[in-house]
Amino acid sequence: MSEESTSVASGPVAAVPAPVHRDPLALIVRFQSLIGLVLVAIGGVILSPRRHGEILFLAPDNMANIVRAVSETGIIAIGMTFVIITAGIDLSVGAVLGLSSVVTATMMISGGFGLIPTILAVLVMGTAFGAIQGTISSRFRLEPFIVTLAGLQAARGLALVVSGNQYINISYGDGPGLAPPVFAVLGERLFNNTVPVATIVFIAFAAIATVVLNTTRFGRYVFAVGGNERAARISGVPVSMVKISVYAITGFASALAGIVHAGQFNFGSANDGMGYELTAIAAVVIGGTSLFGGAGSMVGTVAGTIMLGALANILQLNNITPAMQLLATAAIIVLAAVLQSLVRRREGLGR
Amino acid sequence: MRTIERGSWRALQVGLLAGTCLCMVGTAEAADPMVKACAKDGQFIIGFSQANNAEPYRQHVNDELTAAVKAVPQFTLQIADGAGNVNTQTSQVDNFITQKVDLLLISPFEAAPLTPAVKRAMDAGIPVIELDRKTVGDPGKDYTAFIGGDNYKIAMEAGKYTAKTLLPDGGEAAVLEGLPSSTPAVERLNGFKDGVKENAKIEVVAEQAADWLPDKAQTAFSAMLQAHPDIKVLYASNDMMAAGALLAAKGAGKQVQIIGTDGLPGPAGGIQAVAKGDWAATFTYPTGGKEAIEMAKSILLDCASSVEPTVTVDTTAITAENAKQMMGN
Repeated sequence: MSEESTSVASGPVAAVPAPVHRDPLALIVRFQSLIGLVLVAIGGVILSPRRHGEILFLAPDNMANIVRAVSETGIIAIGMTFVIITAGIDLSVGAVLGLSSVVTATMMISGGFGLIPTILAVLVMGTAFGAIQGTISSRFRLEPFIVTLAGLQAARGLALVVSGNQYINISYGDGPGLAPPVFAVLGERLFNNTVPVATIVFIAFAAIATVVLNTTRFGRYVFAVGGNERAARISGVPVSMVKISVYAITGFASALAGIVHAGQFNFGSANDGMGYELTAIAAVVIGGTSLFGGAGSMVGTVAGTIMLGALANILQLNNITPAMQLLATAAIIVLAAVLQSLVRRREGLGR
Repeated sequence: MRTIERGSWRALQVGLLAGTCLCMVGTAEAADPMVKACAKDGQFIIGFSQANNAEPYRQHVNDELTAAVKAVPQFTLQIADGAGNVNTQTSQVDNFITQKVDLLLISPFEAAPLTPAVKRAMDAGIPVIELDRKTVGDPGKDYTAFIGGDNYKIAMEAGKYTAKTLLPDGGEAAVLEGLPSSTPAVERLNGFKDGVKENAKIEVVAEQAADWLPDKAQTAFSAMLQAHPDIKVLYASNDMMAAGALLAAKGAGKQVQIIGTDGLPGPAGGIQAVAKGDWAATFTYPTGGKEAIEMAKSILLDCASSVEPTVTVDTTAITAENAKQMMGN
């Protein structure tokens, strides 16, 4: 676990001065989303409606509902964690998801491409889209906020062009104009109807991302760039390459989420994924990753994502209005941010 | 079946019971109720999965449904807001299935994406009535029933009204479309364009998407009036865009005959605007709320063995002649 949220880049680059002691608050913040997830789960069990003595919240199909619902935003949040650790932001993710779902549907239905070429092309497209944003931001020293805001508009516009303002239904079968039936597996649940395939994609991607962030040189570079860019540069970290790479990763993640979206919902629409960027950022922040960069945790992001899903689920099971759901999410985001800021101040790192 | 495996000493007894049950099913099949737990004095939960509460029309549907359910003490209505997101809406339908609601009402945000969720509900033995928008498949088979208006026909009525009544001598017309690539936006656009074809002297000179929103409609229609100052009729695919278009026409100092769609009640709605003489007409898009609750009553309370698979609720043209009267309703 201690590897998860390391705020110090180990190895040749020591970007952030290490806090001499660990105070309990820092420990809470480090595991805040896991603690939050446990609290929400306990609340869920206590408040859950029951039917014939069975706690609905804990029913296997309800658990599956929760993790399925968050799988797309989860995949995006994993990519977003890399970007936010470098003190960046990517607002284009939801739009790139929409573009990817449209391209997936168009290539298979109107283009007659097979499954593998379609998936590869969409992943390459998403990665390239992200890399271009990263390059523009780093080459012209522009705020990623602005560059990816433009990217959001561009991706939505491209999606409308590709789809010709139409929604594209994906029908399955053999022959032209039909998608291979195996693609529909993304909308199914395996192992006696309990494990959604979309969730498996999410967890597998999260596992790979965790390894990359915590055990590779690239992962250390990401923390170093976010911790102190100048120090990282002086220590020989290829800062521009790292920055371009993290946006390529969010582009890849958004494309992956777009493919999952198309497969889950048999559908490609330019409007898909609207607002996902904000849900993903919320999950990352709740997960304990600092918007100031340099510190963050992949496991925290996963826990934050699932926590938001569990919260929405328990509120609906109790028939609580959507307005309350928004207010509850808002309160949790503020709480998470305040805790982070308190720790920074105590460690004398307030910026 | 599990009971038999568990204790062979009860096998005979169970076998007899099963036999009896099969007999009963066999004889009663012709008039089997759609929901076995149906009862005049039962308590039932109806889950409504709404596409997006943020649209005033959808709020209007919620209000009419809530009002209709209030009149039936046996029913409790739970409304979940899909917030314009197929993923959210799917998870809400799944939650209703987990809760084992007695009947599911749904206005799917989009058809194909919500189809698997509706299938899961049907497989779980929950009757599904689709309101206003359909999923893929056939009513009566893939879902219990569809109740709603016909977007294409309603817009076509507006087109014909333009061709015959508003512009009998021809002229320029324009269209404000809803959110591009959403089903009703496409259907209403095509319906209107096909309707005005009745009069060859009418030319549709501009069509722009304003995403159902009044502010975008105002901007778009201002630009249209700049480019085509002779536009005589504007068809707006919903009331909110018609309201925005009116502001644009006023700002440009033009007299344009505006047609809305939905016919929403209330001070900001289309009926009032027509009554005041601001718009030429609006065409109601019926919510089907009353009809849906009536159908729920016959399924859950009256133990119906079948219901009408498709109920199309007709549009009403609201014009200067009947607008004041409609406000009284």
